[in-house]
Amino acid sequence: MSDRIEYDLLLVGGSPSNLTLAYRFLQLAKDSGKDFSIAILEKGKEFGSHILSGAVSNPHVIQKIFPDYKEKGMPIEAVCNDSNMSVLGMEKKWDIPKKLYPKTFDKTGYLVLTLSHVTNWLANQVQALAKDVPNVTVDLFTGFAAHSVAFEEGKVVGVSVSEEPQSEEDYVYGKITCFGDKGFISREVIDQYKLRDCQQIWSVGVKEVWQLDEKAENVEGKVWHTLGYPLIDGTFGGGFVYGMKDKKLTIGMVISLDSADPNMNPQQKLQDYKKHPFIQKMIEGGKLLKYGAALLPEGGYYSLPKKFYVPGAILLGDALGVLNVKNLAGIDRAMECGYVGAKVAFDALIKGDTSEAALAPYQQQLEDSFVIKESYNDRYFRWAFIENPKLLGQYLPDMVKSIDKSSPWMGMLKIGFKNPLGATKDGIRSLGLIEGKLDIGPIKYKPDFTHIVPDFVKPKYDEPKYDKATIYSRADAVFFAGTKYHEGNRHIDEFNADTCVKCISKYDKLGKDTPCVSDCTAEVHRVDVIDDLKKHGMSLENCVHCRTCEIVCPEVNLRVKPTSQGSGPDFIGL
Amino acid sequence: MSSGLNIFVLVKQVPDQGSKAGINPDGTIDRAKAKRMLNPFDRFALQAALHAKKNYGGKVSAISMGPPPAVEILLECLEHGVDDAYLLSDRRLAASDTLATAFALFKTVAHVGKPDLVFCGLQTTDGDTAQVGPQLAERMGLPQITYCEDFSIEGNKVHGRRIIEGGYQKVVSEMPLLITVANSYHPLEYKSFRGAWRVQRLARNEEELKKYIHTVDLDLVGADPERTGLKGSPTIVAATEKVGEIGGNCRMHEGQSIDHLVKDVVKETNLAQFMTV
Repeated sequence: MSDRIEYDLLLVGGSPSNLTLAYRFLQLAKDSGKDFSIAILEKGKEFGSHILSGAVSNPHVIQKIFPDYKEKGMPIEAVCNDSNMSVLGMEKKWDIPKKLYPKTFDKTGYLVLTLSHVTNWLANQVQALAKDVPNVTVDLFTGFAAHSVAFEEGKVVGVSVSEEPQSEEDYVYGKITCFGDKGFISREVIDQYKLRDCQQIWSVGVKEVWQLDEKAENVEGKVWHTLGYPLIDGTFGGGFVYGMKDKKLTIGMVISLDSADPNMNPQQKLQDYKKHPFIQKMIEGGKLLKYGAALLPEGGYYSLPKKFYVPGAILLGDALGVLNVKNLAGIDRAMECGYVGAKVAFDALIKGDTSEAALAPYQQQLEDSFVIKESYNDRYFRWAFIENPKLLGQYLPDMVKSIDKSSPWMGMLKIGFKNPLGATKDGIRSLGLIEGKLDIGPIKYKPDFTHIVPDFVKPKYDEPKYDKATIYSRADAVFFAGTKYHEGNRHIDEFNADTCVKCISKYDKLGKDTPCVSDCTAEVHRVDVIDDLKKHGMSLENCVHCRTCEIVCPEVNLRVKPTSQGSGPDFIGL
Repeated sequence: MSSGLNIFVLVKQVPDQGSKAGINPDGTIDRAKAKRMLNPFDRFALQAALHAKKNYGGKVSAISMGPPPAVEILLECLEHGVDDAYLLSDRRLAASDTLATAFALFKTVAHVGKPDLVFCGLQTTDGDTAQVGPQLAERMGLPQITYCEDFSIEGNKVHGRRIIEGGYQKVVSEMPLLITVANSYHPLEYKSFRGAWRVQRLARNEEELKKYIHTVDLDLVGADPERTGLKGSPTIVAATEKVGEIGGNCRMHEGQSIDHLVKDVVKETNLAQFMTV
């Protein structure tokens, strides 16, 4: 029984990147005449249950792998036929003329997707294709997470599938291990080989799916990306609203975790967003179907690991950090990683060489593809807003006011008048960075939590009028994330309880909650008063695995780990 | 007991509570629409069966009745470490009530063999009757320990602790015996990766799989179809009413201690009038 279980390819995470890799590998191996084995580990109870995205996506990579994706029944919610970039005031909305914003924000012709459904479909496609390729065995393991990476002689050889591995029984090995996770486990590889020069920075996406009232206007295929309300405190981020078929609507926000506000509360920001008349009008009489939250790696080019491969392993998708903020795109990039990775892994296995050198073409080919090329072009996009906090902290709020009171054009004039020289100068430099024309060399992000200003004063504003029935408290919203945990689950580590006590007392004195309590998207972190001492407590059964708490903890005192046996949220439908 | 115990565990596939099962016009549950899972109560029974095997030796057989997809939960049982499984699947069983179900299961159990111990969950999450276990014991002519939350075996005797209102009761019975396992029993342990790996291999080989999961029908187990299914079920579902949508308002109460929290809740609601203390 204690023989090693070893596969040729061990895929960690049932992600679009890994599933694409598996599918492409099957295509390549079909006529090779050689036998291969593939295992895919997915921590969710089914493929897609722990994955969440906007999502409006360019189908160019899907087309490469599935030229007949429509016939194969890929779940598509809508094809974007009306793409808008808008700035929200408190009351009004201004659709920016197409000429004034980067064309990467124009999503016309792209697919509106429910990524959980697409992921599930991908897993089914892999299974179906595997039946036609008898020389490759594919084992799909749902409910099994990788808990730690196994290294042997400087090489990644596999992962442990138990929280506390005791014996050989608790490991599974791979000649090549492919990490397509969201950093839960691949960070061990990045740390072990010291692959990072520059910090990864994160934002959190919160999303709701609504069933609109029968009488509501049909908005299928309409896509809005918005700036402004309710993010008028200098925090980077925006909202999105996608019209789907069967009168369903996606409403979400992506909010950077480098916010100065220690009590940013992404879930409540999403509720504020929904209070805007533009959204209120759509969801009136509707019904909330699902809620969920997930992190997005936003660092881009400079946050990429130095190497995309290590001996015996490659990193894909979010494990790598190929998401492109300026393109509002990640899925196609992740899938491209899988597409490229499959060929490199196939060649390496044919040669029987899984060393670093054999996997190096993976990075070269990605660097030659749109994935890294575009990432390089947009390398300063995110930085432009960090470097000059005025863009979002001053100019945008001014603009937001003008949209309600006069017109956006007046807003621009006002910004010009108020800062006669500054605004123009800022504008030219920032535009240079955003467009990638100005080169300022490598940049280094600071960890997100270092941007927190404990005594931050929130800007005050009058809320728009809204229907209370459309707004959900955080505790109520969790219900719609379908979380379910097995008994005895403890997947968030708190390293030092005293550190939490001190942190709580510090924020208490300022009349605020700690960042973990307020920014949690699912009512997990709480303050317990025990013997008159305020201590940090956790309602882990609510957790949706977004990992926001870990990123915003000012004391770096929390760590979110993968769960066992399919515990966690059920994001199917998001 | 040199040959070890012959242990049966009865399991059922039920609609996943997380997915919204529809209701048929006749008031029964539309199972086709719902996602499926192993009845949560059966997880405790399965654990008890595995414990019995681990501590006292023997063999565990899982037995289920349901449409062909119920094979999924039997595979799950194999992953957890049961030795083999039996699925009673027959179209004529559709719409069986507890009387008809217990009868069909009784015949199936007799077909499978002579058990020393039969474990059942308390009830299922779809029917919630808690009748099938006890009915089966009656039909088999076995003593039963219901609501059992702990047990040990000495010689041929089972010492069980069962929950009763206001406390617990210690009972002793001889084997063979049927036990319905309370959900205060040890929760089902995580399945091992090895187990899942083995079952993956098995599931790929249909011939091999048949050695582990045996599908039987009414004719094979010798059950009279007249006594099963709709015909054999005296129960009539008069009507099913939907009592509102699930979901609602949830408020988090925070404070000094449980006592404080309870007082807060009482103060804020009209519960005080029902308080005796």
